Amino acid sequence: MTPAQRQEMRWGYFLIGPMVLGFTVFFLVALGASFVLGFTDWSLLRSPNWIGIDNYTRLVEDDRFTRALINTFAIAVPNVILRIAFSLGLAMVLNTKIAFRAFYRIVFFLPVLTMPVATATIWKWIFDPQFGPVNGGLRQLGIDGPAWLLNPGTATVAVVTVLLWSGVGYDMIIFLAGLGAIPRDYYDAAAIDGASGWQQFKDITLPLLTPTTFFLLVIAVISSLQVFDLVYVMTKLDSTNRLPTLVYYIYEQGFTNGNMGYAISIAWALLVLILAFTIIQFRLQRRWVFYQ
Amino acid sequence: MIIRKKPLRHWIGRFFLHALLMSVGLIFLFPFVWSLSTSLKPMNDLFRTTPSLIPSEFKWGNYQEVFDSVPFMRFYVNTIFVTIARTIGGVFIASLAGFAFAQLRFPGRDLVFFILLAGLMVPDQVLIVPRYILMREFGWLDSYQGLIIPLLFSAFGVFLLRQFFLGIPRDFQEAATLEGASPLRVYWDIYLPLARPAMSAFGFLTLLWSWNEFLWALTITNSNDMRVLSVGIALFEGQYFTNTAVLLAAANMATFPLLIVFLFFQKQLVEGIALSGLK
Repeated sequence: MTPAQRQEMRWGYFLIGPMVLGFTVFFLVALGASFVLGFTDWSLLRSPNWIGIDNYTRLVEDDRFTRALINTFAIAVPNVILRIAFSLGLAMVLNTKIAFRAFYRIVFFLPVLTMPVATATIWKWIFDPQFGPVNGGLRQLGIDGPAWLLNPGTATVAVVTVLLWSGVGYDMIIFLAGLGAIPRDYYDAAAIDGASGWQQFKDITLPLLTPTTFFLLVIAVISSLQVFDLVYVMTKLDSTNRLPTLVYYIYEQGFTNGNMGYAISIAWALLVLILAFTIIQFRLQRRWVFYQ
Repeated sequence: MIIRKKPLRHWIGRFFLHALLMSVGLIFLFPFVWSLSTSLKPMNDLFRTTPSLIPSEFKWGNYQEVFDSVPFMRFYVNTIFVTIARTIGGVFIASLAGFAFAQLRFPGRDLVFFILLAGLMVPDQVLIVPRYILMREFGWLDSYQGLIIPLLFSAFGVFLLRQFFLGIPRDFQEAATLEGASPLRVYWDIYLPLARPAMSAFGFLTLLWSWNEFLWALTITNSNDMRVLSVGIALFEGQYFTNTAVLLAAANMATFPLLIVFLFFQKQLVEGIALSGLK
C-alpha cells in the first residue's frame, strides 16, 4: 500500500466513523440486545430471568396478539391495493396537460405533510357518531350512521380511509416521476402505428411503470404493517384500544404493561412478517416487473 | 405549425375529468376546512347533530386557550429545536459517509455499506425496547440528547447520498488530493456544493419525518418540559382539551409550520420524494 492509499484509507474510516459508530450502538447492539431479551421475562421493575422460547409460545395462545394480527392485515390489505390504484389513477390524470394540474397536485399532496397525530385528531372528530359531519350527512339522507370507531369493522374502514387520505399524495409524486421518465417517442411511435389510448396505457405505460409500482408496493406493505399513530389516537377511547395493531400491541405490552420481554417477541414476529413479505415480493418481481 | 381544432369529444372528456378531480380534491381538502372551521366554533356549536360548516361566531380565543391549557409554547420550541438538530446532524453524518463510500477506496468498504443497507429491512419497533434501555443507562431519558442522538443515523440517507456522489467523477477528488487538499477539504469545497440538490431533498424528507415523529418521543419523554407537539396533542386529548374546538386549534397549529415550509420549498420536497423512489 502506497502512502497515498494509506492516507485515503484513513480518511475513509474517519468520514464513515460517525455513521458507523452510531449505527453500531443504536442498531447493531440494540438488535443483539433485542434478540437476547426476547428470551427473558424482563420488565422494568425486576431483573430478567431466562425463560427460553416461552414468550414466543405465549404469542400463539394470546388472543389479543391474534386480534392485533388480524386487525393489522385487515388494514394493510385494502390499504395497499387502494393506495396503489388511487395514486396511479391520479398520477395518470395529472401527467396529462390538463389545466390547474399544479393546483391539483398540491391539494392531493397536502395530507402527506400533516402530522399523523393531527390527522387522526381531525378525522376522529369527522367520524364522531353524534356530532361529526359523516354521520350528520348520513342523517340528512335518512341513514343512521354507525359509531365508527367503536367496533373493529367500521373502525377498520375509518382507519383505511384516513391512511389513504394521508398516503396517496406521496405515491402519486413517485408515480409522476416514473411517468415522466418514460420517453415521449414511445407514445409517438405507437400513435403513428394507430394504437389507441387504452392500448398505449396497457402496452407502454403499465410495463414501463412496473419498477416504480414494485418499489411502492414494497414500501406500502412495510408501512401498512407498522401502523401506529393513527390507531393510537383514533381508536384509543378509554384505557384500552378497540383496534390494536401489531405495533400498538408492542407499545401496550412494553410501555403500558411493562412486559418488555414479551413486547420484544411481538416485535420480532413483526420483523419476520415484514421480511417474509419483502422476500416474497422480490421473488415474484421476476414475473411481472419489467426492467428496461 | 398546423393548428387543429380539438374535437368535441376532447372537451367533454376534459369536463368530466375536471369534475372528477374537483370532487376528489374537495374530499381531500374537506378535513382541513372542517378542522379550521371547528377550531373557531364556540362550545355550543360543537354539539349540534346537524353540524354546520360556518361557525355561528368566530371564536379566535380557542387558539389562545391552547396556550393557557397546556405548555404548548414549550412543545413548539422543543419540536423546532429537535427537528433542526436531527435534520442538520442527520444530513451531515449521512453525507460524510455517503461521500466516503462513493469516492474513497478503503478495505471493508463494500461490506460495511452492505451491512448498513441490510439494516434498512429491520423495523424500528424491534429496536425500541433496547434503545429505551440504552437511554436509561446513558441517563438520556426525558432529554434532548435522547430525542435527537439515536435518530441521527440514517442508513437510507447514506444510500441516497452515496448514489448521488457516485455520479460525480472520481477525477475531481484525485486531482484535488494531488494538489495536497485533504478529502475533508475536497468534500467540503467541491462535493458538498455539487450535492446540494440531493442533500436538500434528503434534508426535507428528514424534516418532514422528524416534525411528525411520534413513537420514539412518546416512549422516552415523560415530563411536560420535554414533550414535542405530536406527543403533547395525543396525550392531552381528552385530559386537558375537553373542548374539541381547542384540541383542533392545537392540531392545526402543529400542522401549520410544515405547510408554510412546503409552500416555500415545494420543489425540493417534491424532488426529494421523487428521488427516494428512484433506484
